[in-house]
Amino acid sequence: MKKTLLILLALLMLMNVFGCASREAEPAAEPTPTQAPAVEATAEPAPAEATEPEDALNIAILLEQDDAMINNYSLLAVNEAAPFVDADGNAVSDVAINTVGAKALVDWMLGDEAANLIANFGVEAYGENLFYLREDRPVSSAEIPQATGETGTIRLSTTTSVNDSGLLGSLLPVFEQEYGYTVEVASAGTGKAIAAAKMGNADLILVHSKTQEEDFVAGGFAKVLEGYDAERLTFMYNYFVLVGPKDDPAGCAGAGSVKDAFRLIADGKYRFISRGDLSGTHTKEVSLWPAGLGITTEADSVKNYTDWYTYSNAGMGVCLTMANEMNAYILSDKATFLTFRANGGAIW
Amino acid sequence: MRTALQLAIDLLLSGSAELKDIVSVTLRMTLTSSVAALLLGAPLGVLYASARFPGRKALIVINRTLMGLPPVVCGLICYMLFSGVGPLRHLKLLFTVEGMIVAQVILLTPIVTGSMETYLSGVVGPIRETARGLRLSRGRTFLLTLNESKYQVVSTYLFAFGRAMAEVGAVAMVGGAIAYKTNVMTTAIMMYTNRGDFTLGLALGILLLAISLVVNVLAHLLQRSPA
Repeated sequence: MKKTLLILLALLMLMNVFGCASREAEPAAEPTPTQAPAVEATAEPAPAEATEPEDALNIAILLEQDDAMINNYSLLAVNEAAPFVDADGNAVSDVAINTVGAKALVDWMLGDEAANLIANFGVEAYGENLFYLREDRPVSSAEIPQATGETGTIRLSTTTSVNDSGLLGSLLPVFEQEYGYTVEVASAGTGKAIAAAKMGNADLILVHSKTQEEDFVAGGFAKVLEGYDAERLTFMYNYFVLVGPKDDPAGCAGAGSVKDAFRLIADGKYRFISRGDLSGTHTKEVSLWPAGLGITTEADSVKNYTDWYTYSNAGMGVCLTMANEMNAYILSDKATFLTFRANGGAIW
Repeated sequence: MRTALQLAIDLLLSGSAELKDIVSVTLRMTLTSSVAALLLGAPLGVLYASARFPGRKALIVINRTLMGLPPVVCGLICYMLFSGVGPLRHLKLLFTVEGMIVAQVILLTPIVTGSMETYLSGVVGPIRETARGLRLSRGRTFLLTLNESKYQVVSTYLFAFGRAMAEVGAVAMVGGAIAYKTNVMTTAIMMYTNRGDFTLGLALGILLLAISLVVNVLAHLLQRSPA
C-alpha cells in the first residue's frame, strides 16, 4: 500500500518535471505570434475592467431576500414503528432505526453549541451568513448520552445544500468528538433523502421542503421525540436566490418581487434551468411560476415549454454549471451558489 | 489542466486525511472485488469453454447478457435488497464497503467469465488433442488449460481491476458516497463537481489514472519476467 503510493508519487513528480520543462519552453518556441496580443491590447483599452472582476462566472445573484424566497430547514427523526413496506407493498416490522442516536443528534443540533456554530458559519469565508437561526426554533438543553456500541452510528439523510456548503462538515466533527458517535451523511435532494428514510435507510433527516415534510409526517414516518411537541423541528433558514446572466436580458433585477421576475422569464421565454429532481429547491421553484403555466414537479407539466425550460434532474452544482454555460436563469439556495462561486465554478 | 495537475501533486504531498481515506477505500474495494470476481469467474469460464454439459449454451447466452448489465441497475437491485425494508436487510450491507464489493462482483464476474470463455474456446481444441496424445488425466488437462491461459488471466484481471476502479453508478447507489466510509475516487469526483470544484475533481481524476498506470506497469513487468 505504502509502496504503491510511493511509486505513484515519484511518477507524478516526474510528470510535473516534464510539465515545467514544457512550460518554460513555450515562450521561446513561439516568438513570431507575440505581435498579435500587442495589437489587441492597444485596440481595446481594457474594457473588461468595467464589469465585476471578482469572478469568472457568467451568472450572478439578481434577486434575493424576498419573503417568498425564505428557505426553511427542518430536522425529523424517523419513527422506528413507521408503516414501512417493502418493494411489493408488504409490511416490514423489524426495520433497524437508531432512535437514541437520532435524538442525541437532534438535541445537540438544537442546543447552544450548534447554534453558535451555525450563526457564525461562513461569516469569515464569505463575509455574510450562509444560514440563520429561526427565532421560534425549538431549543434543547437535554443531557446528551455518550455513544454506545448499539447507538454509535447515526445515519443522517440530508439535502445537498447543507453538505455541499460545508455546514455539516463544520458541525458534525464537534459533535462526534464530544460524544463518540459516528454520523454517516448521505446527501441527495430532499425528495431522495425522504425516499431513503421511507425505505428505512436513515435515522433522521435534515431537509427543506415543507409540503414533502408534511407528507412524511402524515404518512407516520416521523416521530415526536421526548421533550419536543412536533415531528417537524424547523430551526434554521436561509434564502433562495434568483441567479441569472450578468446582463440580465429579462430585467429580473428590477422586478418588484420574485414572482414578477419569474413572470418576466416565462413571458420572454428566457432559458431557465430547473433542478427537476423533486428537491426542496425544485419544489420551491415550481411554486413561483405564474399559475396559468401549470408547472408542477412532474416532467409532463413542462413538455410544452422545452424551448426555454430545462428539466435537468441533477444536483445544484451541476445545474449551476449548466446555467453558467447556457447563460440561463436558475433558482438556487444561496449557500450552494456562494460555495460554487468560491470554488471557481467556471471549468477553466 | 495545469492547475489541476499542480493541485493533484499538492494534494498528494499534503497527505490530507480525507484523500488518504478515499484512496484506501478505493483500493480496498477495487482489489477485493476484482480478485473475488476473478476467482469466481475464471473457473466458470474454463468450465463453459472446455466441458460439455446440457444447458451450457443457454448459460453462455445468459452470461453474455449479464456482461451488459448496466451498473446503475445492479446498484438499484443491491440498494433494494440491502435496504432497511429489503429482504437482505439483516446483512446490514447498505452504505458499507462490503456492500459495494458485492455489487462490483455481480458486475465483474460475468465479464471475467465471458472473457475467459471466449479466449479458451479458441484454444481448447488443440489442448484437448495434445492431452489425448499424452494420455493426461482430466485434472491434468484442466491444469494444462489453465497454464495455457495464464496471460489471458492476467489481462482479464487487469480489465476487471480497471472496471472496478472506474465504476461509479453502482457504488454511488450502494455505498452512498459517505465521507470517511464509502466515498471512493469516482464518487468523490462527482461530489466535487457538484460543488463547482472542477479542478479538485480533475486532480482526483489524474490520481485515478496514475494508480491505473502503476498497476498496468507492474503487470507488464510481471508478464515479461518469466520470458
